[in-house]
Amino acid sequence: MKQTAYRPHFFMMIIGKTVRIGLLFFFFQAIFFKVSRIGDWSYDHVLLLFATFHIVDYLMSITYQRNLAFSLPRRIQTGELDARMTLPVNLLFFVSFEDVDMIDFFSFLPSLGFLIYVFWRLDVVFSWPQAISYVLLLLNALLFLYALMLIIATTSFWTTQAYGLAVIVDQLLKIGRYPLDVLEGFWKVIFIYVLPLVVIAQIPSQALLRTLSVELALYALAVTGLFLAAAIALWRWGLRDYLSAGT
Amino acid sequence: MKTFAKFVVVLRLVFIERLTYRANFFLQILSGILSSLIIVFLWLAVYRNAGQEAIGGYTTAEMVTYLLGGGLINTFVLTTAENPETSQSIQDGTLSALLIQPLSPYGYWFFRDLGSKMFLFLLGMLGYGFIFWGFRNYLVLCPDGGHLLLFLLSLALAALLQFFLFESLSLLAFWIENTYGIRFATRVILETIGGAIIPLSFFPSLLQKIFLALPFHYLIYLPMKIYLGKIPLEEACLGLLKEILWMVGLALLSLILWRRGLRHYVAMGD
Repeated sequence: MKQTAYRPHFFMMIIGKTVRIGLLFFFFQAIFFKVSRIGDWSYDHVLLLFATFHIVDYLMSITYQRNLAFSLPRRIQTGELDARMTLPVNLLFFVSFEDVDMIDFFSFLPSLGFLIYVFWRLDVVFSWPQAISYVLLLLNALLFLYALMLIIATTSFWTTQAYGLAVIVDQLLKIGRYPLDVLEGFWKVIFIYVLPLVVIAQIPSQALLRTLSVELALYALAVTGLFLAAAIALWRWGLRDYLSAGT
Repeated sequence: MKTFAKFVVVLRLVFIERLTYRANFFLQILSGILSSLIIVFLWLAVYRNAGQEAIGGYTTAEMVTYLLGGGLINTFVLTTAENPETSQSIQDGTLSALLIQPLSPYGYWFFRDLGSKMFLFLLGMLGYGFIFWGFRNYLVLCPDGGHLLLFLLSLALAALLQFFLFESLSLLAFWIENTYGIRFATRVILETIGGAIIPLSFFPSLLQKIFLALPFHYLIYLPMKIYLGKIPLEEACLGLLKEILWMVGLALLSLILWRRGLRHYVAMGD
């Protein structure tokens, strides 16, 4: 609740985050003012992709992003991790969910409203399998991002560059709000196979729009499994190498 | 002259500091370049799908030039946006140490910001140089020397306008304890309506009128419009004149805030 101590700051942050979504909404509107489709994506489909991205992004930032990307590297480097290691609770769980971001919690609500507005705009009746696969793929996206954040955080066991990396990845993730299958060649390969940002919003959105192939859905689950396994292996390896720098 | 020499030292120090953490800054520029590239590819897909050479008065080549040029301007406008040092010094009391030094803290922050912008611009040029080369078949050259001169002037003015705008907000730290929220909200607006990801002429006319009434479009939209020769020289001069008025207004506001704030300032040591 520390974040609510400075009320003008707290409210301006929420307003800023809400305005950002509003302005990006105008950005897409301005593009579709001139064209009717981008690749296979209509205006409403792009709005769904955009709203889905922000739902995942906010759920990540409310829960684990700040803890893993910014707090954990600091705790590893200052030795603050020591005190947490002695607590009778799973260390990874504790350091991942230690602080809840209240600013993003309140900023999340307009995003949720926006998603509902997009559902209303889409004007289609969703079947249960569609809705369930959408929710499951959203959870998959959150797990994928969790793994990515944990991988970045664990680098601070060996380097001092984790903060810089976290800032960059935070910037790169924003690319996930655009339809990435409209890209061609090299960049398409990068964002589907190397840094698979399509997992964040595009694949869940496609599931809801019934344009997702079974192969791509299975690929999204496999990628998340792979990233998660790598992240946990790095976390365990890092803990073995951790010497405690605190005094 | 002596005072100026002090500020040259401040500039040098900023460069030395930035060079110490050059990897982080370069990665920051790199992520900005990647974001710019994605926007370019998105627009290329839009043009492919539209099946027309020009959309909203911009040909494909003009749009690519606009977005990459806007991206380069962003490296020193957006990356340094927020002027955190001023606000931080007031909040944590380090301003007291600055006040007893033989140079004005306001000038010190100004030259530090200028140094940061110069450093990031050079780093940005390095990164964007490769991108410009990659897109050389798309890039449009400035139509004539007059437009080029006004474009360069508009870049310098954009850098100054950005400083005075965010400095005014940072100086509110004398009265409110945390100014990050207000600076963040302003930066968010700047990100979109500054014109970095889309020319403002694409927006519906009502929104355009609102956006053009604010100072943000002078940072990217106006310089790129001048570079592409989208406005005649007389209109460009008029635009820059209005920008100067905004800049002077904001500079005066920040100086008033600085003087009044200083009277209000209290710091407690241990």
